[in-house]
Amino acid sequence: MKNRRLLLPVFLVLATAASWLLGCKKDAASEPGTGSVSFAVANVVGTKALAFDGTAYATASGETFTVQKFKYYLSNLKFTKADGSTYAAPSEYHLIDAANPSSTSFTVSNVPAGDYTGVSFVVGVDSTATKADPLALTGDLNPANAMYWPWSSGHIFLKLEATATTGGAASPIVCHVGGYRAPYSAIVTASPALNGTLLVRAGQAPKIQLSADVLSLFDGPSPSSHIALSAFPEIMMPSPLAVQIARNYAAGMFTVKSLQNN
Amino acid sequence: MRGSTQLRQRLRAHWRPVALLALAGVVVASAGCGRTAEVALAVPGAAQPSNFPAMVYGLDKNPPDAATFALGRRLFYDPRLSADGTVSCGSCHRAAEAFAHTGHRLSPGVAGRLAPRNAPALQNLRWRRGFMADGGVLGLELQALAPLTSPAEMNLPLAEALARLNADAGYRQQFAAIYGPGPIDTPQFLRALAQFVASLTSANSRYDKYVRHEAGSALSSQEVSGLATFNAKCGSCHATDLFTDERFHNNGLDRTFAIDSGRAHITSQAADRGLFKVPSLRNVARTAPYMHDGRFATLAQVLAHYDHGVQPSPTLDPALRPPGGRLGIALSAAEQANLLAFLTTLTDNDFLTDSRLAAPR
Repeated sequence: MKNRRLLLPVFLVLATAASWLLGCKKDAASEPGTGSVSFAVANVVGTKALAFDGTAYATASGETFTVQKFKYYLSNLKFTKADGSTYAAPSEYHLIDAANPSSTSFTVSNVPAGDYTGVSFVVGVDSTATKADPLALTGDLNPANAMYWPWSSGHIFLKLEATATTGGAASPIVCHVGGYRAPYSAIVTASPALNGTLLVRAGQAPKIQLSADVLSLFDGPSPSSHIALSAFPEIMMPSPLAVQIARNYAAGMFTVKSLQNN
Repeated sequence: MRGSTQLRQRLRAHWRPVALLALAGVVVASAGCGRTAEVALAVPGAAQPSNFPAMVYGLDKNPPDAATFALGRRLFYDPRLSADGTVSCGSCHRAAEAFAHTGHRLSPGVAGRLAPRNAPALQNLRWRRGFMADGGVLGLELQALAPLTSPAEMNLPLAEALARLNADAGYRQQFAAIYGPGPIDTPQFLRALAQFVASLTSANSRYDKYVRHEAGSALSSQEVSGLATFNAKCGSCHATDLFTDERFHNNGLDRTFAIDSGRAHITSQAADRGLFKVPSLRNVARTAPYMHDGRFATLAQVLAHYDHGVQPSPTLDPALRPPGGRLGIALSAAEQANLLAFLTTLTDNDFLTDSRLAAPR
């Protein structure tokens, strides 16, 4: 019986450590000489805001579709100074669900004060975190968020569920991108241009407003990376096409719309 | 093959000190937690069998505890963990059948849908590295998520499973007594369930008693002959007293693997096409049908496959490509009869009839 009482504090310590290690959205008290950086993501389709109300969108080649679900992880945020030195924020894992406004912004604390000219992040989850002990799989990494492949232990990095409507016939688009093993690792890094300098100072919270464009998955950075909706198969496991889509969104999904140093 | 025989001999020679150490470990661990050794031993499978290799999922990972074991057992047999409330883990993993599903090539999940692979026996999972025939699941605690959420099995999203547990006052109380107050979340759920499946240790077959030189543990001369054939011809894959090398091999079931590519489904590597995890053979006489797709109804058919049914493919295991061009493992009629006799010595009636592992009443 005593054992049960012992297990409780042990578990609480582990759970606290895990949630701390894996990053909560709560602001930790800033250390001296550090500031925080806020991120807010606006999910869009081309020039339109992303909506789940049946709004029809069109790809560059004129195919049309509606969107039912758009979710993805942002993690491993890195800030780069003009001299090339970087600060990698530890334990940042953020699940952005376009249907849930409270999930689309987050704050990175304890960024060393300085002038940063670049920012990058993984669109997905690194292999170490995705293979972690289930005890650590809490918060945004919790498999209960349905961004997890139970049959091949690991997170789904990005999930788009949509309906192709070109020519009036509806056909489902299921695009679940994940996988951390060669040759089809879909762990990709986005580094949208800041178009300015991010000034991190103690007691200040500069804000980066990003947009995330669904069209980037299909249209890609070059004509050869364009993926026609009509040829879009159900993607639910690592594959060459999943890797192509990950490269497409790494290259073109994120744009810095504004950078506010207050 | 020789390595496997040597290993068995080494294990036999060293079993006594290991057993004492294991027992001492249980006693010390129990004393450290302020409870008696009897409580620890009351949780099945909480000791290291002396003829087994070291545990992968050690006792320290999820210390055996009567309350957690009882909770895990309740979860294992609760059909509310399926979408329509009709299928529990225990529906397709039956205690009296070594937690396999005898007579079912593929088991029906919710709405009568068939799971893509044969329900494997659940036993000695503490010693497993990776789970599923393709090794896709990395750990014992994560394993339950696959059948829970698979549309053809229990088809219940994890969030819905947690919601159902949290809506049940009895479960809330049971979880809180172990893990403290607060909502039931993924870690507690997976750890409680893991504690039950980790307890499914089968180590008391006639074969075990024989290799441990326990009283009254003689094998018949035919069974001993079968053991010798087994060590010579089967033991390289069905290695150690767990009877698996925990690796993936193509055992020549087919020439192509369009329906199920096995290990390649996880790794996307051509070299892994048609490779499947070597299953343990413990209680194998009670876990028909056989192979990942349940294609063989009897052990005699399995032996016939290895003798003359092996199909060529680029990834066929080298052990099934002996010099001379004839594929498979040549087994005379006498050898096959002896092997069948030997395989029945792996039946562990203590395990199959352990009422602590059966559905709670």
